[in-house]
Amino acid sequence: MASAPNSKYNTRSLENESFKRASRDGVNRDLGEAVPRLPGETRITDKEVIYICPFNGPIKGRVYITNYRLYLRSLEMDSAPILDVPLGVISRIEKMGGATSRGENSYGLDITCKDMRNLRFALKQEGHSRRDMFEILTRYAFPLAHSLPIFAFLNEERFNMDGWMVYNPVEEYRRQGLPNHHWRITFINKCYELCDTYPALLVVPFRATDEDLKRVATFRSRNRIPVLSWIHPENKTVIVRCSQPLVGMSGKRNKDDEKYLDVIRETNRQISKLTIYDARPNVNAVANKATGGGYESDDAYHNTELFFLDIHNIHVMRESLKKVKDIVYPNVEESHWLSSLESTHWLEHIKLVLTGAIQVADKVSSGKSSVLVHCSDGWDRTAQLTSLAMLMLDSFYRSIEGFEILVQKEWISFGHKFASRIGHGDKNHADADRSPIFLQFIDCVWQMSKQFPTAFEFNERFLITILDHLYSCRFGTFLYNCESARERQKVTERTVSLWSLINSNKDTFRNPFYTKEINRVLYPVASMRHLELWVNYYIRWNPRIKQQPNPVEQRYMELLALRDEYIKRLEELQLTNSAKLSDSSTSPSSPSQMLPHVQTHF
Amino acid sequence: MHCHRHQSVRFMGKADLHQLQNLLHHRRPDATAEKFHFRNLLLGEHDVPLTCIEQIVTVNDHKRKQKVLGPNQKLKFNPTELIIYCKDFRIVRFRFDESGPESAKKVCLAIAHYSQPTDLQLLFAFEYVGKKYHNSANKVNGVPTGGGGGAGGGGSQKTPLFETYSDWDREIKRTGAAGWRVCSINEGYMVSTCLPEYFVVPSSLADQDLKTFSHSFVGRRMPLWCWSHANGSALVRMALIKDALQQRKVDQRVCNAITKSHPQRSDVYKSDLDKTLPNIQEIQAAFVKLKQLCVNEPFEETEEKWLSSLESARWLEYVRTFLKHSAELVYTLESKRISVVLQEEEGRDLSCVVASLVQVMLDPHFRTIPGFQSLIQKEWVMAGYQFLDRCNHLKRSEKESPLFLLFLDATWQLLQQHPAAFEFSETYLAVLGDSTRISLFGTFLFNSPHQRVKQSTEFAISKNIQLGDEKGLKFPSVWDWSLQFTAKDRTLFHNPLYIGRSMPRVQNGSVKPFKRTKVKAHLVLAHTPRNISLRTQHIESEAPSADDTASAGFEDPVLSRGLDRSLLFLLGTEAREALGSVESQRITAVTWEVPFLKPIHSASCSFWNQPAQIFF
Repeated sequence: MASAPNSKYNTRSLENESFKRASRDGVNRDLGEAVPRLPGETRITDKEVIYICPFNGPIKGRVYITNYRLYLRSLEMDSAPILDVPLGVISRIEKMGGATSRGENSYGLDITCKDMRNLRFALKQEGHSRRDMFEILTRYAFPLAHSLPIFAFLNEERFNMDGWMVYNPVEEYRRQGLPNHHWRITFINKCYELCDTYPALLVVPFRATDEDLKRVATFRSRNRIPVLSWIHPENKTVIVRCSQPLVGMSGKRNKDDEKYLDVIRETNRQISKLTIYDARPNVNAVANKATGGGYESDDAYHNTELFFLDIHNIHVMRESLKKVKDIVYPNVEESHWLSSLESTHWLEHIKLVLTGAIQVADKVSSGKSSVLVHCSDGWDRTAQLTSLAMLMLDSFYRSIEGFEILVQKEWISFGHKFASRIGHGDKNHADADRSPIFLQFIDCVWQMSKQFPTAFEFNERFLITILDHLYSCRFGTFLYNCESARERQKVTERTVSLWSLINSNKDTFRNPFYTKEINRVLYPVASMRHLELWVNYYIRWNPRIKQQPNPVEQRYMELLALRDEYIKRLEELQLTNSAKLSDSSTSPSSPSQMLPHVQTHF
Repeated sequence: MHCHRHQSVRFMGKADLHQLQNLLHHRRPDATAEKFHFRNLLLGEHDVPLTCIEQIVTVNDHKRKQKVLGPNQKLKFNPTELIIYCKDFRIVRFRFDESGPESAKKVCLAIAHYSQPTDLQLLFAFEYVGKKYHNSANKVNGVPTGGGGGAGGGGSQKTPLFETYSDWDREIKRTGAAGWRVCSINEGYMVSTCLPEYFVVPSSLADQDLKTFSHSFVGRRMPLWCWSHANGSALVRMALIKDALQQRKVDQRVCNAITKSHPQRSDVYKSDLDKTLPNIQEIQAAFVKLKQLCVNEPFEETEEKWLSSLESARWLEYVRTFLKHSAELVYTLESKRISVVLQEEEGRDLSCVVASLVQVMLDPHFRTIPGFQSLIQKEWVMAGYQFLDRCNHLKRSEKESPLFLLFLDATWQLLQQHPAAFEFSETYLAVLGDSTRISLFGTFLFNSPHQRVKQSTEFAISKNIQLGDEKGLKFPSVWDWSLQFTAKDRTLFHNPLYIGRSMPRVQNGSVKPFKRTKVKAHLVLAHTPRNISLRTQHIESEAPSADDTASAGFEDPVLSRGLDRSLLFLLGTEAREALGSVESQRITAVTWEVPFLKPIHSASCSFWNQPAQIFF
């Protein structure tokens, strides 16, 4: 478009902003170097390069590499940095062209990132000039392959809030009213002996003994037995999660497992059948029998009803996101945008995940049945379904801290394999274990926040910040595959939590339209008519899509300030009214009677 | 998907004016508890204005017969079902299980008859306004508050209608357009029946020249000034020059005059819209496809291929084409500082869309509610956009085409891409679109201002209404939103994310041209799609329900206490009620000015699914 003012500012990454915030928190800013550094961040090298910006063309600049980030400044002007990319974002570094390649800017490095962009640098062809840059980048972007620590272990940032204190399982279960007559907390997995990918603390039916649990574990893939995720505060139906039963080709049965599921059903007397949602497509569930897995058959599990939710596996999701990147980066497919988008199937997958979660939430909310959710191992699709259903059912999880607890609980503690899915510090970019499952979950949350703009305390920036640090390796939050590994590595002692950053700057992440509603169940519309591509995330590197500074964010701050002012006035009102009330305490319609409720709103 | 009510239809007699008999009532029995507070004062949730009806189909299950009811047609069977297809994508179905066969037939024929009038003067607005004149005949100054148009969405500013010399003069001053003057040669529509009585032309062209030139233009539609940039470049629209012999000469003279009106005497860029944009038939065809897609059954089938079907309907593609072309003209005006002439055969269809979009993108004033309304008056109503034919109010036009809706959709796209730049919300745009289908307002009823005067004068004579000095009947204006919504509901027209307020500033008694401070050239472009829409819907559901004092309009207890009602959603429901007694001074919001807007990528052109949200 002719009228687009192509500004260098536009290509700044979001990372930049957290930078500026962090600098207030005491980042070392060495003026001589002109590279801001986090405490614990050290400079490794710098080099003159040409950054081949896909939007603004080649830019001459100096690239600085630290043990945390790649930072690019233009040589031509004294301006804001052009790039500020945490090395954790890098998934692949390739050399392009050879020493004898012809053509301008044909010799250099091509960097593929995990966050929907590529970076290309051209270097001088003389004297292997790219070799050391390639080696240093490889070393610090993939520290695991070089026996180096991930940056999170070197980060010495300090924050006002300690994010590691956010999630305390005992407290969270107590909030849910647990333990109660039907459900107990067990420490059988204290040393991760029952199941090494589960958390130490589990909630199980009161009537199931620890011996029962051990026997059930033998029949569930990777010992991931059915345990409680959430209980409805009124009707007491529950969401239970687990992995697939080890039925196998021969159709093996396990009396303990069958009995255990019946015990779960019986925790609620009104229920005649336990609903099982197998997240997979039917054929995949059948195919899993070949590798010893399977699903709960009607004849073995009498009081159950089984539904397949048709959500595809991690490989399908990875390929789908790849296609999304193909149509949005660097150029947005213009001529057949909608059909191209359709052919990525990304929104269709989002739709299926949301549809599944809605079914879980509806079943539980209606009180008709308790729900058991599993996929194959119960750490990808299962985590998506339980956490989204909980988000729909329980408004607590829609607050900033509530959401942190939800992620901490359903994803981190229950062993979503972040290390494998993201590949932190790992050079095997083609690893088949990588998959954007957590991103897909955050996308679903974003879709919900679009449909219910007043229901979430957090804003879009909160979600994008979480995704940025999913890759950045600045915080320990998403490192490792499970709680036992994190405990072995003493992650909470040796690293900083992402929630420390967020909770110390909460206002930046607040949605001014948030209205707290206690008992409202959210049912998003999971129709293609209402789902949309998250442009602000997937296409944010394109300067035509995302511009800085963002007037909406500015307006958010104004609205938050206004809200504070309104609240102040309310308090004044409360004072004048209580004064009046002491004069005439008989008025039944006095607003002061509402004020106790009012206060709960903020 | 369908409103499928097993209930006999309540249809009111034609004489029952007070009840707005042209509305079809079929209330749900349980509609007593109104869940949503936002509601139209003229129309119930399920009411359908007769001008909103597109097609009437009667069905007899037993005989398996089906018939589309045209005007003055006979019905040979007793209907068991009536299906009404509406222009707003609704499909309303009635069963006649409980009513007698004769009354069912009568109802169907009556709807067919009244919804398909044979003459413009049979539209409800005429009867309504006639009755008003009769009722007020005895009173002094009893003429209905016609054209004027009251407060836009709670604001106090009147919308200029551009019916008078002074409105145009003010617009010239507001934009600081030197070299342009108001021209009165069309007073009494002496030159052209499809031009307004007053319009703006280059100062260097004398009235006599204009009169002479006008014969060369289709419909005598000579160059009309739309707007001037602060840098002096002007936006002008005109019809084609049909006179081949005169073409070069007239063209030369006109272009020279426009150049002379430019402070830098810059060249003129001519944009031939007929060659660059889809034509009205193509736009109509795309709209029909879009509608089929949206109302299609079964749902799952359209769901599966939704995005590609949406693409092949081409509606969004056309919306984007208009936005893109307008953005290019914005660049010409803003950066190249060249005046732009929009040329189109008659100059009253595509030009309306493009002229309006260019101004919305360039001038923050048109992103306010009064500004946007004045823009519609200026570039649509007064410029002779043929609402009667294009909206097909009489249901027999082959010239139907949803250009106005296309403009609203394009504006909505801009609103999605620049959520902080518009004073109005998605709700406002949706309500405005709906209002084109209510034949009570004069605003969107006619093909030209002249047609209003001519038809209503004829009508007045036939009904013995004394018009006095007035030029035709004064129909209620759409801009008088208090006719449709309470003051409280009108707060939903306001966009809480709006940061720009750049109204004309009145200083020393005269209106200064609006200030155009550029904060930074590339300051404002952001894309937070769909944020506002759903929010307003939720505010609707959260709004306190018992507060009827606000409906009176002026006596808004919250406004009178200096709080911005449109921002009260910031507090919880109960807190908002408690606020009824908060004393405080007015909050002055921090305001920015937004320079100009650009539509961005196809990825940002999204489907305006609000109608779907309501009806699916």
